[in-house]
Amino acid sequence: MAELLNIIVWLPVAGMLAIALIPASQENMVRQVTLWLMILQFVLTAILYVNFDAGVAGLQFETRVPWIESWGVSYHIGLDGMNVLLVMLTAFLGPLVVAGAFSAITRDVKLFYAMVFFIQFAMMGTFVAQDLFLFYVFWETMLIPMFLIIGIWGGQRRIYATLKFVLYTAFGSILMLAALIYLVWSLQNATGTLSFAFADLYKVKLPVSTQTLLLGAFGLSFAIKVPMFPLHTWLPDAHVEAPTAGSVILAGVLLKMGTYGFMKLGFPLFPDATQVYTPLIMALAVISIVVGACLALVQTDIKKVIAYSSISHLGYVMLGLVSLDLLGIQGAIIQMVSHGLTAAGLFLLVGMVYERCHTRDIAAYGGLAKIMPVYSVFFAILTLAAVGLPTTSGFTGEFLVLLGAFNAAWPQHLAGSNFALVMAVTAVSGVVLGAMYMLWLAQRMLFGATRAPHLPITDLNLREKSILAILVVAVFWLGLFPQGAMQKTELAARQYQEMVAGRPAVQRAAEGAGAVATPVAATLGSTR
Amino acid sequence: MNWQHVLLAMLPEHILLVGIVLLIGLELVSERPRGALGLALLTVAAATAAAALLAHQGYASAPFAGHFSVNPATLTAKAIVLALVLPTLLLSRDDFSETRFHLLLLSSVYGVCLLLSADSFLTMFLGLELMSLPVYVLVLLAFQRPDSAEAALKYLVLGGAATATFLMGVSLLYGGTGTLDLSAFTRALGSPNTMAQAAVVLVVVAFFLKAAIVPFHAWAPDAYEGASVPVTAYMATVIKAGVLLAAVRLFGTTPVGRPMADLLTVLPLASMVWGNLAAIRQTSFRRMIAYSSIAHAGYLFFAFLGAAPGRFQAVLFYILAYALMNLLAFASLPRGADDAASDRLSSLKGMYQRRPFAALMLGLAMLSLAGIPPLPGFIAKFLIFKNVIAAGYTAYAVVGLLGSYLGIYFYLRVIQYAFMSTDAVVEPASERRLALSASVLCLVPAVLVAVFPGWFIGQL
Repeated sequence: MAELLNIIVWLPVAGMLAIALIPASQENMVRQVTLWLMILQFVLTAILYVNFDAGVAGLQFETRVPWIESWGVSYHIGLDGMNVLLVMLTAFLGPLVVAGAFSAITRDVKLFYAMVFFIQFAMMGTFVAQDLFLFYVFWETMLIPMFLIIGIWGGQRRIYATLKFVLYTAFGSILMLAALIYLVWSLQNATGTLSFAFADLYKVKLPVSTQTLLLGAFGLSFAIKVPMFPLHTWLPDAHVEAPTAGSVILAGVLLKMGTYGFMKLGFPLFPDATQVYTPLIMALAVISIVVGACLALVQTDIKKVIAYSSISHLGYVMLGLVSLDLLGIQGAIIQMVSHGLTAAGLFLLVGMVYERCHTRDIAAYGGLAKIMPVYSVFFAILTLAAVGLPTTSGFTGEFLVLLGAFNAAWPQHLAGSNFALVMAVTAVSGVVLGAMYMLWLAQRMLFGATRAPHLPITDLNLREKSILAILVVAVFWLGLFPQGAMQKTELAARQYQEMVAGRPAVQRAAEGAGAVATPVAATLGSTR
Repeated sequence: MNWQHVLLAMLPEHILLVGIVLLIGLELVSERPRGALGLALLTVAAATAAAALLAHQGYASAPFAGHFSVNPATLTAKAIVLALVLPTLLLSRDDFSETRFHLLLLSSVYGVCLLLSADSFLTMFLGLELMSLPVYVLVLLAFQRPDSAEAALKYLVLGGAATATFLMGVSLLYGGTGTLDLSAFTRALGSPNTMAQAAVVLVVVAFFLKAAIVPFHAWAPDAYEGASVPVTAYMATVIKAGVLLAAVRLFGTTPVGRPMADLLTVLPLASMVWGNLAAIRQTSFRRMIAYSSIAHAGYLFFAFLGAAPGRFQAVLFYILAYALMNLLAFASLPRGADDAASDRLSSLKGMYQRRPFAALMLGLAMLSLAGIPPLPGFIAKFLIFKNVIAAGYTAYAVVGLLGSYLGIYFYLRVIQYAFMSTDAVVEPASERRLALSASVLCLVPAVLVAVFPGWFIGQL
């Protein structure tokens, strides 16, 4: 099965080579080949997902081959509870992105699909990498295709937006590079082994002051990618100017690379510094939730509403991760996937109406429910999912995160510190604000007097309906049956909790995990 | 003196010499330029093969003890530098048909080879001058614009200043120690004697001048812009390689101590920052590459902060990655009758639509020079900064990395021109076969370096 994971990661590279051989005039063939290879990748990933054993704590389907031996770098990939859902999400969105771009992309078709393959490769690689050097290579490589996707096929201000995106992201990465070299060098100094493997680096024990600097460097890079307030300003520009496919990839998967980075590297590598700075990170997460939601409320561009809502939704992920409560952590993982599905769906919907009317101004639309009934149904469902209506995936994620945040905050409140509780309560207001901006958006667009830049507008065609139907099924699946996904992530979430909070998982299990998790006062109390 | 060793140790140089003599003969008997290019290519290829073969066999000897020696490491370096001349020669087809070009180029390459084996200041000086003198002429040889003459003169004057500085430093060293051996320099490095320190500073400044480190960089943008494409490519890659590898040889196995480390940090850092910032404002591609090369010289001198054993490896690997990508960029450039017009960055607009392969190669080269993974430029930069951090200069490494961040923007701008503009410039879309073969010659090793960096690093 380990070969299968390698095939999944490298399939996009084969796809790039394959479409390089197709003559540029055969645009439809390029589209079809890309679509079917993406579907193949999804099917293979699904097989892997089904075979992923939730009862095993460590890596599965692991491959480890020395790559740069003199530096201790190896090509080391594998699946664990942290990345399995994100890998699944990436593979799931792949075919939808490709199919969604069929009619929208007419310029340099070959290059476009090559870049979609390229970014798919980079994202998969980032999630499955178990070696810091390999992770960094994939993490940075992702810049190249995204730079081109926004810059070539984007809107009016695409050059500005894409340069801003790259320069923001690269700034974080360059500090991360210095920090990772320092970290590896510290490992070598302490133990004599030169290794970039995550498993080895987790063992490095550094003084808190050093940890703080390193967490700052890693965290800056990840926080830009998430993005967390106040580093979020590149996101609205990138989203608005990117073509639909670019927005879907960006919102669907790329932003999760930031939260995944925190979960896999940032917090577990530097647990002491994380504990010291938990209040700050928590505050930034909550500010992201509230500020993102407030900004979404006042936008006039549909894409900007969804872009700012992403900032808000990813704030929940961060909140769940620093709550260090089992449910909160699992909720954060579910929320990542859920946001990937709903944001991808909403961006696809915006793209579909934009293709018809060439404007994203909310005021230009109204009463679409009458003239585009099918479109409106999908719009309503995905809006409600983004708001977190029970039975949809959004509910599972946000609810678990908030539950986790309160679980963690309550013992602190009893101990006399109200900070975490205030944060958790404030975070709840994000749910209310979220309902406001999303429902208001739906109301303005779908109901009221019929208004559109061009009349008549055709409703969705079969291709568009199929894409959205598949997404909606996934949204409900994760909302109604989250147990499967939660089981697969549980051991990893425990491991994360243990690494950051420093409390043995066995002990937690003995205290009866599963239902409502026990307080983590011991750990969070120590941060005061 | 063992004649067999003299023959074998200097085999690459001898092959070059035979080639040069044959080229002179060819110029006398016939005017067929095609043969000259072929002969030059054959000569360099044979010299490369000879160096690689000797390195592979682990050959080491000192035919002129104290002046000239070879070991597998220097032979590998020679093989790499010689191999870099091949794409340069392939590029020259459109600009030069005269045998004079090949003659001068091979003479300069001979100088580089000498430089890489120099054990005494005498040989080093010979190598430096033999390397530089033909290039002053080469800058002028294309004479397509009035500025070329000015550029060549500037280059000549500042090159002369570098030579004078170098000689001044060497004479001070000789006066103090009575020896011309390179070890006089390393001993002076640690000496508290004012004269020794002055000598060290003078020699280092001479190298900074030759490598175009801020504030001794002013000649580079003019010379690069004024010269023709193949000569610029040669200056940016092979000459830079020669100078830097000679500097590594000069520092030998001595760790760089505190006052010296500051000198080796501040000026290269200034080069990175200034080179990267000034490159943003350029409208000429070759001027931009000149500033880029100023910044890259800065990264290269950072390698000297690292521990001595890894220095040679880091510099050589960096040069390999950097030169391959520079040559790839030059091979992909559009070439028109009007040199000044086709050198403008705006002439790259819409390049992907006209020549997709060349545009992709140019993009690849720019991304690699910017140090974005998984391209060779990233691995090379990583190696340098890894060594700097391992030597304990973490703060310097962070500052250096931030300096390299400044360079990302202007490389991306080239890609923006080539891929992202819709208003295409009319340019006859002619694929030049030799330039194409030059890009393939750079692309294949570059891809191999990116995929198997461990193997390449192991060989150096």
